[in-house]
Amino acid sequence: MNEATPDPRAQDADDLEDLFENAPCGYASALPNGRISKVNRTLATWLGHTNEHLVGRRFLDLLNIAGKIYYETHFAPLLRMQGFFNEVALDLVRVDGTTLPVLVNAVVRRDEESEIRFIRITVFNASDRRRYEREMLEARRSAERATAALQDLNATLETRVADRVRALEQAWRLSPDLLAIADGQGTFLAVNAAWKVLLGWEVSDLVGQSFVGFTHPDDLEGTQAALGRIMTAPMVAPYEYRLKHADGTYRRFSWTGVFEGGQIYATGRNTTVEHEQAAALSRAEEALRQSQKLEAVGQLTGGVAHDFNNLLTIIRSSVDFLRRPDLPEERRARYMDAVSDTVDRAAKLTSQLLAFARRQALKPEVFDVGDRLRRIADMLNTVTGARIHVVTEISDMPCFVKADVSQFETALVNMAVNARDAMDGAGTLTLRLDDTGNLPPIRGHAAASGQFASISLTDTGAGIVPEQIDRIFEPFFTTKEVGKGTGLGLSQVFGFAKQSGGDVEVQSALGQGTTFTLYLPMIAAEASAQPAPVGDGEDFPIGDGQCVLVVEDNVEVGRFATQILEDIGYRTTWASNAEEALEKLGVDGSGFDAVFVDVVMPGMGGIELAKILQLRMPDLPLLLTSGYSHVLAQDGLDGLQLVHKPYSADQLGRMLGKLVPRRP
Amino acid sequence: MVFAHGFGCDQNMWRFVAPAFEDRYRTVLFDHIGAGGSDLSAYDAGKYASLDGYADDVVELCRALDVRGGIFIGHSVSAMIGVLASKKAPELFASLVLVCPSPRYLDDDGYVGGFSFQQIEELLDFLDTNHMGWSQTMAPAIMGNADRPELGDELINSFCRTDPDIAKRFARTTFLADNRADLAGVTARCLVLQSSEDVIAPREVGEYVHHHLPNSAFVLLDATGHCPNLSAPDVTIAAIEGFLREAGLE
Repeated sequence: MNEATPDPRAQDADDLEDLFENAPCGYASALPNGRISKVNRTLATWLGHTNEHLVGRRFLDLLNIAGKIYYETHFAPLLRMQGFFNEVALDLVRVDGTTLPVLVNAVVRRDEESEIRFIRITVFNASDRRRYEREMLEARRSAERATAALQDLNATLETRVADRVRALEQAWRLSPDLLAIADGQGTFLAVNAAWKVLLGWEVSDLVGQSFVGFTHPDDLEGTQAALGRIMTAPMVAPYEYRLKHADGTYRRFSWTGVFEGGQIYATGRNTTVEHEQAAALSRAEEALRQSQKLEAVGQLTGGVAHDFNNLLTIIRSSVDFLRRPDLPEERRARYMDAVSDTVDRAAKLTSQLLAFARRQALKPEVFDVGDRLRRIADMLNTVTGARIHVVTEISDMPCFVKADVSQFETALVNMAVNARDAMDGAGTLTLRLDDTGNLPPIRGHAAASGQFASISLTDTGAGIVPEQIDRIFEPFFTTKEVGKGTGLGLSQVFGFAKQSGGDVEVQSALGQGTTFTLYLPMIAAEASAQPAPVGDGEDFPIGDGQCVLVVEDNVEVGRFATQILEDIGYRTTWASNAEEALEKLGVDGSGFDAVFVDVVMPGMGGIELAKILQLRMPDLPLLLTSGYSHVLAQDGLDGLQLVHKPYSADQLGRMLGKLVPRRP
Repeated sequence: MVFAHGFGCDQNMWRFVAPAFEDRYRTVLFDHIGAGGSDLSAYDAGKYASLDGYADDVVELCRALDVRGGIFIGHSVSAMIGVLASKKAPELFASLVLVCPSPRYLDDDGYVGGFSFQQIEELLDFLDTNHMGWSQTMAPAIMGNADRPELGDELINSFCRTDPDIAKRFARTTFLADNRADLAGVTARCLVLQSSEDVIAPREVGEYVHHHLPNSAFVLLDATGHCPNLSAPDVTIAAIEGFLREAGLE
C-alpha cells in the first residue's frame, strides 16, 4: 500500500467534519436537559464564542430576553409536543452584546425506546430577511399612518371648512360696510345686515331687486358704466355713488367689487360722513385763512403805520408852513411840491398793499418794455443812491407786453430797493431785458410755452440763505428790522407777475448776489395800438358851471370832492348814499350834467347805482372813483370810467372834461 | 378538575398530564381567548386588558359546567387567573394547583420578579418588531394554508396556535400585571409547583407565592424549564396526586 494513498474512509470522515464545521448554517446538538453538547464552527464564529465555551450551556442562554421568554412559553412546549419546530425567528446574542437575527429549526432525535437522544438545532442567518421584514413592517406602518393621517385630514378639513364658513358668516353678519352679491345684471342675490343699519332696508326689500331702484337718478348712468367695467377688469379705484335710504334721502357709498363666476361681489363704505367731515374741514381751513389774514392785517398796521407817519409828518409840517401868511413864494412852492410828492409816495404804498391783495383794478395797456426800462433806469438810479452803479443791458428789439404800467414800474422799484438793501448801499445793479421764449418751470409749476419777456435785476449783494428763498415772496416776510420794511415789496412783484400772466424767479448764491427775473407774456407789436396818453402838464378843460351830483358816503372826502369840483368850475350837489342820489336825480336826471360816484358805499354800492343809471338815463355821464374795488378787480370796468383814489384836481378835471359836454 | 393553559400555548399543554386523572375526575380543558380553537370574534381589548377578564371567563365557564368544590390546575399566568377566579367565586374550587406561578414578573422594591423593566420593554418591543417571524410560527392559518388547515397543522405547528394580535396584548397584560395583593384571602387549599430551572418564574417567586397564600403547600419539582407539565409530566402528576391525597381527595 502506497503511503501517499489516503484512506478513503478517513477522507470521508474529514469531508463530513469539514461540512459540519464550515456549512453556511449553524449546527448545534443539545442533550434532553437542553444543554449544548456539540456546536459547529460557523455558529461559534457568528457568535464570537469558542466551541468549548458554548458546550454545556443551554441554547436558551444564547437568546435575548424576548427570545428566552418565547422559547420557554412557545417553542420549548412545541418541541416537546410535536418533536420539532421550524423557522422560528429569534435573536441570538453575540459575545459583544450585539444581536444576530436567525431562523431556528429544531428536531428531537429519539432512540429505539423513544427516549430522547439529542435535539438537533439548525440556525440560519436571517439578517437580510429580518431587515426585509422590518422594511415591510415599516412600510405597512407608514401606510397605516398615511391612512390615519388622511382620515385625520378629512376630519380636520371638514372642521376647517366649517370654521371658515363660520368665520365668513360672522364677517358677513358683523361687517359695518354694505356687502352684496349680485348677478351680472345687477340684481341682488344676497345682502348683509349693514343695509338695514345704514340704509334702513330689510334683506327681503333688496334680494331679487335690481340696484337701479336704489340708485340716485343722477348717478345711474355712471353706476351702470362702472358695473360694465367690473365685468371685464377688477376695480382698481373705488367707485362712489348715492344710494336711497328707506326714508327717501340719499347716502354716499364708496364701492369696490369683483366679478367672478358670473356673480358680482361688492362692498360699499359709507362716505356721507367723510364728505361732511371734508366740508367741515374746508370751513375750518377757510376760517383759519381768515384769521391768518386778520393777523396779517395786524402786522401790516405796524409796518405801514411807520411809513405813513413819516409821510404824514412831512405833509403836516409843510401845511403848517404854508399857513404862514409871510411865507416867501419860493418856499411856498417847495412846501407845495413836498406835499404833492409825499402824497404820491403814500399812494404808491397803498397801491402796493392793493397789489398784494390782488384786488387792485389793473389797467393793462400795451407798452414796449425796453422803452419803459430805459425811462425808468434814471429813476432807479435815484432810488438806489449814488454808491450803486446801475448798468442796463437792453436790446433795441421792440418787446411789447400788455400789463399795468404803474404796477410794472412799482415792481421794478421794489426789486431795486430790495437789491439796494441786499448790497448795503454799494455795488452794481444790472438791469437786463431778454426775449426768452418759453416760461421755465418755477417753484414746481410746469413750464409754459409761448413768448415771454424776461426782465432781470442782478445785484452783487449778500445773497439769500436757502432756507429763506422759498419765503421771500410771502406777504410780510422781511429780513429787515421792525419798521424798516413792510414785507410787501416782493409780494407786490409776485402778485403783479401772476396777475399779468407771468411769473417771477429768483436765483441766489450766498456772498455773490441775487437775480430776480420777471417773466411777462409778450404780444405782437401790431396789437399794441396805444391810446395817446393824457400827458401831464397840459391844461385840462375847466368846467363852465355844469352841475355834478357827487355821491360819497364819507363826509370829509365828500366835502373835499365838492370843493375841488367847484374850484375847477363845476356846480355840485352832494348825496351821501345811492338811494339819496336816485331820489335827487328823479326820473330823468334833469338838472344834472354828470354824476360822480364813489364805488364803495354802505347799502347800494356805486357800481349798482351806475348800472341803474346806465339803464334809466343812458345819456347822463358817469364817473366812478375808488381806492380799490373787489368788483372792479374781478369784473373790469365794463365801459365805466374810473378815477383812482387818491386823485388830484388835475386828474379829476381831465376825466370830467372828457365826459361832460360843454354847455352850448 | 379544570386545566388552564398559560401564555404561549393552548390546552394541548396538558396532553401528558390530564389523561392521568380522567379515570377519577371529570376533567375540563379549554382554550383562553385568542388561543387554540377559541372564538376570536369574542375578543374585547378592554375586558382582556387585565387578568380579571380572563378570570371572569373561567368563572363563567365553570358555572356553566356547574363546577363546585373542584380542583383548578393553572399553568404560568393561568395560575394567577385561577387565584383571581377563586376569589371571585370561592365556591367553585376547593383546591388550586399553581404550576410555575408568578404574581409579578417585574422586579420591584424588595421583590424579585425575575425581570427588570428594561427587559420587559425589550420583550414588548420585540413582539412588535418580530411580529412576522413569530406569527408565522404560531399562526399557521395565516400562512396561506387557510383553505387547507390540516396541512398547516401537520407541516408547520399542530399545537399551540395563537392569534398574533391577541397574543401580543396577552403578553402585555401578563408581563405588566401585579397580582401580589390578590394572594391574600384565598380560601382554597393551594399547591405551588416550582420548576428547578425556570427563567420565567424563578424559585424566589414560587416561594413568595407560597408564603403569601393563606393555605398552601410548596413542591420543588425535579424538572427544568417553565413547562414541567411537558418536560416532566410524571413528576408533575405525582406531585398533584400527593397534594390531592393529603386533602383526602385521592
